[in-house]
Amino acid sequence: MTAGWLVVAGATTGVAAGAVGAALPRRWRFTSAALLVWLACAFEAAAAVHVMATGRHIVLHSATLIPITGVDIELNQLGALFVLLVAGVAIPATLHGIGYARHGLDSRLAAGTFPLFVTCLLLVPAAGSVATFMGLWELMALTSLVLVLINHGRSEATRSAATWYAVFTHGGAVLILVAWLILTAHTKGQTFPELSAHARELAPAVRGLVFLLALVGFGSKAGVVPFHVWLPKAHPEAPSPVSALMSGAMVALGVYGIILVGDVVLGRGPSWWWLTVLVLGAGSALFGSIHAASSTDMKRLLAYSTTDNIGLALIALGASGFFESTRHPLLAALALVASLTLILNHAAFKAALFLSAGSVQVATGSRDLDQLGGLLRRMPQTGTLFLVSAAAIAALPPLNGFVGEWLLFQSLLHGAAIGSTAGDVAIPLALSAMALTAGLTVVAFVKAAGIGFLGRPRSVGADDAVEVAVTMRLAVGLLAGACVVLGVVPFLVLPAVERAAGVALPGLTRAPVSRGVELQLVGLRGLLAPAAVAGGLVVAVGAVVGLRRVLARRPAPNVAEAWGCGRQFQTARMQYTAVSFAEPVQRVFDDVLRPVQDLDVSHAAESRYFVESLTFHNSVDDAVERWLYERIIRAARRWGQAARLLQPGSVHRYLAYGLGAVVVVFASLAVVR
Amino acid sequence: MRALWRVRRVTEPAGGVADRDAGPPELVGSLQIRHVDAGSCNGCELEIASAFGPVYDAERFGARLVASPRHADALLVTGPVTRNMAVPLVKTFEATPEPRIVIAVGDCARDCGVFHGAYGVVGAVGDVVPVDVSIAGCPPDPTAIVDALRGITRR
Repeated sequence: MTAGWLVVAGATTGVAAGAVGAALPRRWRFTSAALLVWLACAFEAAAAVHVMATGRHIVLHSATLIPITGVDIELNQLGALFVLLVAGVAIPATLHGIGYARHGLDSRLAAGTFPLFVTCLLLVPAAGSVATFMGLWELMALTSLVLVLINHGRSEATRSAATWYAVFTHGGAVLILVAWLILTAHTKGQTFPELSAHARELAPAVRGLVFLLALVGFGSKAGVVPFHVWLPKAHPEAPSPVSALMSGAMVALGVYGIILVGDVVLGRGPSWWWLTVLVLGAGSALFGSIHAASSTDMKRLLAYSTTDNIGLALIALGASGFFESTRHPLLAALALVASLTLILNHAAFKAALFLSAGSVQVATGSRDLDQLGGLLRRMPQTGTLFLVSAAAIAALPPLNGFVGEWLLFQSLLHGAAIGSTAGDVAIPLALSAMALTAGLTVVAFVKAAGIGFLGRPRSVGADDAVEVAVTMRLAVGLLAGACVVLGVVPFLVLPAVERAAGVALPGLTRAPVSRGVELQLVGLRGLLAPAAVAGGLVVAVGAVVGLRRVLARRPAPNVAEAWGCGRQFQTARMQYTAVSFAEPVQRVFDDVLRPVQDLDVSHAAESRYFVESLTFHNSVDDAVERWLYERIIRAARRWGQAARLLQPGSVHRYLAYGLGAVVVVFASLAVVR
Repeated sequence: MRALWRVRRVTEPAGGVADRDAGPPELVGSLQIRHVDAGSCNGCELEIASAFGPVYDAERFGARLVASPRHADALLVTGPVTRNMAVPLVKTFEATPEPRIVIAVGDCARDCGVFHGAYGVVGAVGDVVPVDVSIAGCPPDPTAIVDALRGITRR
């Protein structure tokens, strides 16, 4: 209770930051708002650390702040982990925003909304009742929608993206609200502890319905296939600091919602719930990684990769629930720790990647990989940081992606032998899906780093690129540094993750991973010493470089041009492009991607044997969008057209409707009386 | 399988080799070759294809065609050097790591043959890059090509 003022101070500071951002003149607007946002993050993070350290929940109640429902704050360790995650993403994203502001974040609206968005993100995991949660959740959705729309004047794509996002986020919110309402209808109170105390008394079918509604609702926020369609549209169009917050933090809160409803409030359930989560996760991981491997727009690639990473986290979450329902608490705890670790790691490297994509866009004016190239030489620091983050997301040791995927692999490998029929089918499939995903992620990020940063510039913008402002580099550097720290010394954060997992698994008594310098699975066979791996790599690389320098008495290096098949001169167009790099993937996964390819050949007038021009068009749209949502939209449009028969615009007809209705009412009254 | 049985072995017997001192000692035993068509009529190409085919099978003797001069020890150049191919030939030569040798295949490569003095021809291969081994003939017989290669690989 004593630490409660930290949460209040954080919220107040956040709102004040919004007011400052909206009020000050353009020059100081974003910077002063950013200072207050950092203060808000610091307050909330301090509250979260307090909860983590003492284990005492922060509980606040105010009946007067909002009439009728009141405001309830309850910050437990699970929420605290997510508050820390949001603060960890928001601080660098805001720092990046200071440099980025001139490119579309320094309008009154943007500088006022951005702090509010961060504040909502910080407060959602601290919400303690249905009304508070839904209020903050909707505010978060609305503020992020405004920020997606900030550059609405720039292109039609932005408006379309915002429409898709609005539909999905509000559709999801409706489902979540229905789920909460079903729960509150059966209990007296509306705070989460009250709900969870009564949730066990509900009929299994009702509990199942609540879980499914929440899964779809939160899944649409988390970018789970098939509710992911808004992600590859909204993420590229939003300003990069906003995309980083949306992808790193907001999407993670979708997973937080699933854990909140499934684990904390409903207290876990039958295995079919969790197998559904696992299957959705595996589908998302595969679909996201295939699309990421074939995308050529850098931010679109990152958005699909978000779907892929959230899919992995859901595989872990589903496996955890499944192990719990088959009475393997140790495996369940390990899988849950893996899930939370994956989300933490994702926040670090995805935010870093989105921010560096923003830096690239600022420096070159493009985010199309086929317009970039040669950036490592022109923007050495941004380029290096991008490479580090890309290596982290590709799960290369000794970076953090490796630790998360190692935990997930271990929990699934040990879980494959628990001897239940559903598990025997689902777990190996999840394992293979995960293996394929890991490979495709490597393809996607070799492409992003190789095509974007190596080679020669493919456009004037890329050729003229210069290093971006120091705040932007520092922001990406913080996050890339977090990737290294989380990868080399994960035992610093694993205790926090385990405490958060303990909220969702109250029966958990021992930590599933030992807290030493090396990670040792408790009760299972499995050992990883990330620091030793990192040290070994550094020593090995150093030894090879050193030995080469000492031993090899090489003649002076012979400078020659790169081999280009003997052509007289080489241009940037002779390089591998992102499309050609992705072509094999596109060919193999033809059935999933369903690319649209057109080749127009126009022949010379004199003879058909001479070609005048060739036009090749290749586009990879989202198959789910085309096959599911466009049909839904067409059906809705048909219904709308049908409704126009009743509403043709004629006032006489409307008056006739009114008269007819009155006549019918009177006639029926006369008959009934 | 039956066809395989009926045809039996088609490869020419490996005879003795005349010239055994053609190349540098580093290339003895294994010779990676990049073929460069500097303007040939494709007659020599047919014979090269045949020299590396199942009948003459030059790979028996350690010679192998590769896809890039970066992987090659030797350039197998055919045809008179045309204006368009002069620079690419030099670039290919420069891209080949040392020790390297150049083998001029056919009369055109040796002295421009029937294309001598033609307007599009810069000259023979020897006028553009230093030639180490020449193979005469228009086109040369596959056995001549194989013999020349064996002179370098000494197998």
